[in-house]
Amino acid sequence: MHRQQLLVSPVLTVLVLSLMIFPPTALASNPQANSNQDQTKDDQNKADAGRTASDGHLTEPAPDIKSAPTDEGQLATVNNAKMPSYSKVYVAPIVGGFENYIIAGLRNKKVPLTVVIDRSKADYEISGVSDSEKAGWAKMLFIGSQNSNEQASIKISDLRTGAVIFGYSVHKTNSVRGKQSAGEACAKHIKKIVLD
Amino acid sequence: MSNKRHVASILVLLAVAVVSTALAGDKNAPPTQKIPKGSKVFVAPIEGGYDMYLKDAIAKKKVPVAIVDSRDQADYEITGASESQKASTAKKIILGNWHSREEASITLSNLKTSEVVWAYSVHEEASTHGKRSSAEACAKHLKDAIENQ
Repeated sequence: MHRQQLLVSPVLTVLVLSLMIFPPTALASNPQANSNQDQTKDDQNKADAGRTASDGHLTEPAPDIKSAPTDEGQLATVNNAKMPSYSKVYVAPIVGGFENYIIAGLRNKKVPLTVVIDRSKADYEISGVSDSEKAGWAKMLFIGSQNSNEQASIKISDLRTGAVIFGYSVHKTNSVRGKQSAGEACAKHIKKIVLD
Repeated sequence: MSNKRHVASILVLLAVAVVSTALAGDKNAPPTQKIPKGSKVFVAPIEGGYDMYLKDAIAKKKVPVAIVDSRDQADYEITGASESQKASTAKKIILGNWHSREEASITLSNLKTSEVVWAYSVHEEASTHGKRSSAEACAKHLKDAIENQ
């Protein structure tokens, strides 16, 4: 009996510690993703309902936003928008200097775009937000990982029409190269909408 | 009769030339991304004094550019961001690692055309010489970009 108690107490301690450290992020991220997916489905249903009238004809044009989950992020393109190659793109300042990582990613991934530093000379604008979370002691102790968690979200807008033509968000748990990885992920997905 | 044919063929060729040049004008041309040796470069202030490390590294790695103090005198400008994180106690005790985590990204832009001609980002999880290492990595790759174009 005493031996059982001795065994139970460390196990309980580890359980409590792990519950304190891991589930808040893990549980918070998955339901959010699920709720987002549900919300997307609801939005699509609402859009379909709005588009079809009683006689089955289209009544009002709904935005044709295509959303597709990728390996580490969420991608959305509007009306299958494409950018002509070597379009002039201005990358707006992002907190933490993330715009520099996006520009470096565009170059590294050989995206055929011309980045300009003057907004007035640009055809498109990339803007967004980014957040970085360093590895804590618990992560180092339990997982043995010192890699950070990175998340970023960007959008591309056409400066002539003002329309947002592309959106992408990335979340990397244990990002080996930190912001560089997130910047390159953004660039990789931007390349998909650039015409060769 | 033959003169008329000649005139007609010339007109057709001219029309084709006009249409093709108009189409070519619509398409954006790829930028000229050559960085001439000896170009005047201004290093803009970077958070944490990283620009100073960058200037030292450019001199140490013998990058063929001339650093100027005034933006007005420069042909190119280096801007960027850097982040440095000292090894925490946990990192020292658990992972046995005293080295800092360095992250930096720089862009080189042509001040006349406003085009970004070169960009590079570096991430060092355990940097032996801290900011110096990452700045030298940037300088080394800038040198390669200038010499291998």
